[in-house]
Amino acid sequence: MKGPLIDSLVQQGVSRRSFLKYCATLASMMALPPAAGPAMAAAIAAAATRRPPVIWLSFQECTGCTESLTRSHSPTIETMIFDMISLDYHHTLQAASGEAAERARLESMQANFGKYLLIVDGSIPTANTAYSTIAGISNYDMLMETAKGAAAVIAVGSCAAFGGIPHANPNPTGAKSVGDLITDKPVMNIPGCPPIPVVIAGVLAHFLTFGSLPELDDKGRPKAFYGETIHDRCYRRPFYDQGKFAKTFDDEGARRGWCLFELGCKGPVTHNACATTKWNGGTSWPVESGHGCLGCSEPDFWDAGGFYKALSMPVRPATAAAAAAGVGAVAGLAVSVANRAKKSAAIRTHQPTTLEDLEK
Amino acid sequence: MPLERIPVVAAAQWAVSGNARPLLHEIAAQLRRLLDAGEAASIDLSALPLNPADRDWLRERLGSGEVSITLDAEGESTLAETAFPGVWWVTHRNQRGDVLCELIEIAFVPYLVGAPRDDVATGLERLELALSEPNDEPGGRNP
Repeated sequence: MKGPLIDSLVQQGVSRRSFLKYCATLASMMALPPAAGPAMAAAIAAAATRRPPVIWLSFQECTGCTESLTRSHSPTIETMIFDMISLDYHHTLQAASGEAAERARLESMQANFGKYLLIVDGSIPTANTAYSTIAGISNYDMLMETAKGAAAVIAVGSCAAFGGIPHANPNPTGAKSVGDLITDKPVMNIPGCPPIPVVIAGVLAHFLTFGSLPELDDKGRPKAFYGETIHDRCYRRPFYDQGKFAKTFDDEGARRGWCLFELGCKGPVTHNACATTKWNGGTSWPVESGHGCLGCSEPDFWDAGGFYKALSMPVRPATAAAAAAGVGAVAGLAVSVANRAKKSAAIRTHQPTTLEDLEK
Repeated sequence: MPLERIPVVAAAQWAVSGNARPLLHEIAAQLRRLLDAGEAASIDLSALPLNPADRDWLRERLGSGEVSITLDAEGESTLAETAFPGVWWVTHRNQRGDVLCELIEIAFVPYLVGAPRDDVATGLERLELALSEPNDEPGGRNP
């Protein structure tokens, strides 16, 4: 095990054994087979000490994704990762503001053209780009300008990956995902509302270790974390197989921890790692605390027909809204007319969650 | 209604889901491979749908063996041999004591235990440097 990085770590008093342990936990975090630990150690040890630059752009979002990453409960690993990258621009976390902040972004883009990693959270308004701007630059222009020199683009959170809540019916801002707009670069999606912190960190670690994005599924998500459904990895799955379901949130079945399928759990159609990675430092996760999965890492989860409706229950087709959506491409004044049409269509097809839904 | 009036009922105890049993078959297959081909393997427990009862069940089935190693490397790690020689229960913690990952390793000796060759070389340099310095101890003789 030789190379610039391990040499500099050894000089800082880190033993090779500590480093090997770190790589073993990193492999586990990245959902790689444990045998990958020693191989990763060799790859990382040989990495250059120059930290890869990262530019992080936040568009139509709630900052929950950044909160998720920074409130992570395993500081050692995330800190080591941030010691390994150079976060050149992140307008929530950086100390600089105003012109100095924008200059930092432009300087990093010029100095590292073709090499930096671009991370985006939030969706991009396209109906009128003035809906969301930073330093007078529209989200759309900033994304296109910054993406030009990026080695790869990572869309963090369901808004950046699929449009998310801004994209929810009737989508007044014409919100689009990063993948809708960037077509000439590798784009990886890390959806979730927010995504699991170790998943964000694990994917970054993969890029740093191997210099490439991990294997992706058909929705651009890393297979290591999104390869299986919540349902397939759920500890309550055996109850589903036995036909034991909670019928209400306070019945005997709920108390015994039976399957939440009939209470609207979207686990069977949701791909994410919550069931095994869990949340808050492995404390718990939604199903473990007695509530079904909302399906937040899937496209259009907000419009999937009610969080408390069982998957087997038919959802009324939102035909009027779909028809109006086809008009959305028209520019200028027509857009606002179309949006108004979409909005009234959405009001007509709106399906409120009633008390009966909750008391099923 | 005041908060005290809300009755608090302790959640039901975890029940074994049956997800741990197949792991014993995997461990048996890996042990066979260790004997036949000398290939070590590990199973990452944090990637598997085990509830606390499943984990306790597995721990109980595997039991505890003769060797238990504590590693102090950026946080404590414990590598404990189970009642089945060659099967180790490995827990890595960070400096705050949080569990980072739990593994079952199938190996004659877990690979983290052996001293890395380069660390041995660095250690030897340090020792030789210490020996080359003047010996101040009573009765000591300088080289």
